[in-house]
Amino acid sequence: MEIEKKYLFRMLYVCLAASVLAGVLVNFHEQAHAAFLWQEIPGFSAIYGFIGCILIIVVSKALGHHWLQKEEDYYEKH
Amino acid sequence: MIEWMHPGLIFILGALLIPVLKGKWKKIYLLLLPIVALIDLLYMSKGVFWRLPLLEYELVFGRVDQLSLVFGYVFVIAAFCMTLYALHVKEDGQHVAAFLYVGSTLGVVFAGDLFTLYLFWEVMAFSSLFLIWYRKTKASSEAGFRYILVHIFGGICLLAGIILHLQNTGSVAFDSFNWGTGWGYLSSYFIFVGFIINAAVPPLHAWLSDAYPEATVTGAVFLTAFTTKSAIYVLIRGFPGVELLIWLGAIMAVYGVIYAVLENDIRRLLAYHIISQVGYMVAGVGIGTWMALNGSAAHAFCHIFYKALLFMGAGVVIEMTGRSKFTELGGLYKYMPLTFWLYMIGAFSISGFPLFNGFVSKTMVVESAAQSHLPIIWLMLEGASIGTFLHTGLKVPYLTWFARKEPVVEAKAVKEPPKNMLAAMGVTAFLCVFIGVFPQALYGILPYPVEYAPYAAGHVVAMSQLLLFTFVGFWLLRRMLHGTPTITLDTDWFYRIAGKRFIWFCEKPLLDFADSIDKALKDIADSFVWFSRNPTAASRIMVLTIGAVVARPFNPAYMHYERDLEELRRMYPGESVHRVAIGTGVLLVLMFFTLYLVIYLTHGVLWV
Repeated sequence: MEIEKKYLFRMLYVCLAASVLAGVLVNFHEQAHAAFLWQEIPGFSAIYGFIGCILIIVVSKALGHHWLQKEEDYYEKH
Repeated sequence: MIEWMHPGLIFILGALLIPVLKGKWKKIYLLLLPIVALIDLLYMSKGVFWRLPLLEYELVFGRVDQLSLVFGYVFVIAAFCMTLYALHVKEDGQHVAAFLYVGSTLGVVFAGDLFTLYLFWEVMAFSSLFLIWYRKTKASSEAGFRYILVHIFGGICLLAGIILHLQNTGSVAFDSFNWGTGWGYLSSYFIFVGFIINAAVPPLHAWLSDAYPEATVTGAVFLTAFTTKSAIYVLIRGFPGVELLIWLGAIMAVYGVIYAVLENDIRRLLAYHIISQVGYMVAGVGIGTWMALNGSAAHAFCHIFYKALLFMGAGVVIEMTGRSKFTELGGLYKYMPLTFWLYMIGAFSISGFPLFNGFVSKTMVVESAAQSHLPIIWLMLEGASIGTFLHTGLKVPYLTWFARKEPVVEAKAVKEPPKNMLAAMGVTAFLCVFIGVFPQALYGILPYPVEYAPYAAGHVVAMSQLLLFTFVGFWLLRRMLHGTPTITLDTDWFYRIAGKRFIWFCEKPLLDFADSIDKALKDIADSFVWFSRNPTAASRIMVLTIGAVVARPFNPAYMHYERDLEELRRMYPGESVHRVAIGTGVLLVLMFFTLYLVIYLTHGVLWV
């Protein structure tokens, strides 16, 4: 399992690098198509994906922790 | 002239025979009906059929054009997959409810006038209710009641809108409605609210995430497809290009994602992703360009398959383990790998991985937002994609099939599900991949001509980057995503808690207040009765009482009057002590009449 995990992660790194590289190449080719400014940044989707993911988790967890999440029998008790 | 048989009728009439058949024949019959309906649909010509005069109006049961056909196809094909999934269910009632549900949805899709639409709309709500109630738990019965109350409210809004619309225009034809601001558009607003309740647009969405997770394992799979997607169909018909929908849709897409983070129940998480995905469709309707409307229809088409597949996977887990909470799941991969991989096809599809069907439809809506120059909407929709993959593609499979070395339930109970369930998942998964690989098969049947190439290098690379780096974020924060044994408050709070408090307010303080008014009036009436028993003695008592209260502080000698007063009260009404002459009585009567005369004469002069 451990070896397999290592192998999988090596594959992931290759994929990550390949996607960013491909992004740079495509940007070079298709710059005229960009509808928004940020689409001209190479690797914008990668940055957005990573930051978006972290933000979604952190913001939702904060919302849930401070406000929305209640114990399971909340509706029976209230 | 019957050019074709209404496909909805095949399901509705077909449902009646289900309880009569037994064993193998019933199974064959159940699977045959959707196939017959599909053949019927494939041979249907476009046009307006099945007009039925009613009073001075004309009911149209069959308006067949490319838009209604797309939805018709997907509903019938999905019905086949779902029936296959539910084939092992013994209770006839569940099959009957499901078939009525499918049939009435097809009725909505082909309805050409508002009365027919309303009729099938209500049948849809009530037949789907039984798919929830057949779970036969306390939670499902309560959730079912809330579900139907919300839908009855939605139905009433729709009916009110239809009646106003009829009054304004004199027509019951179901075409696009006028939209603007002001009282003149009231009918459109009512119909709009009726529609967006079924589309689960926040804040009117809580019925979905409340009720779907409580439905039966097989019933929930049916529920995922029909109500919300038929709502998208009627929105495309009735409100294309209404700008409000763009924002509602984008908010929906993000809203579902945020709630999905907090969910501990596997099907509730997936239910929030229905809301999120339907958000793309709603936004597409709002953008209203050909490409956007195509995108909405296409996304509805694809969504039905992958969401059904995801609910099938979650249903299998619940069926086999009896658990639905992430805190009680995990470590199932060893025992049900096939279910895992089939589920993952659904997960890749909903996330919009290239070569899966979500990619060819979702990007259409997102791209149309770009073409219409809506940067914030574009960012919100792309952001929702991140969350979609994060939850359905990573959190759910991680917490269900991995995360633990061994499942918490007994190992021998955990195995792959019955063959029909696996077969249904297989067929649905095949369709997801097929449409992803050959998008032209879908694009060819869309209502408007398609000029969109999903597999342009830019799209593929951007989506791959987005999803791959989402995985990096997930892996870093995966500890934060473990389920917690909690529930999450949503807008159903307003009718579950605030509503309860309102009822309490009506029953307690408001009713007490009413009682006190009641009592005061009765006291006044009582005092009149008391007074009339012996008016003279009563007036004496009153005068003395006032005298005793007012004069006592100034004149201590007044104290002894109180003794008289007590005596009088004790004797009351007793014999009238002071007899008055008849003349006094006559005088009183005369005074009364004079007063009456004065009132009579001055009425309308001095006062009204």
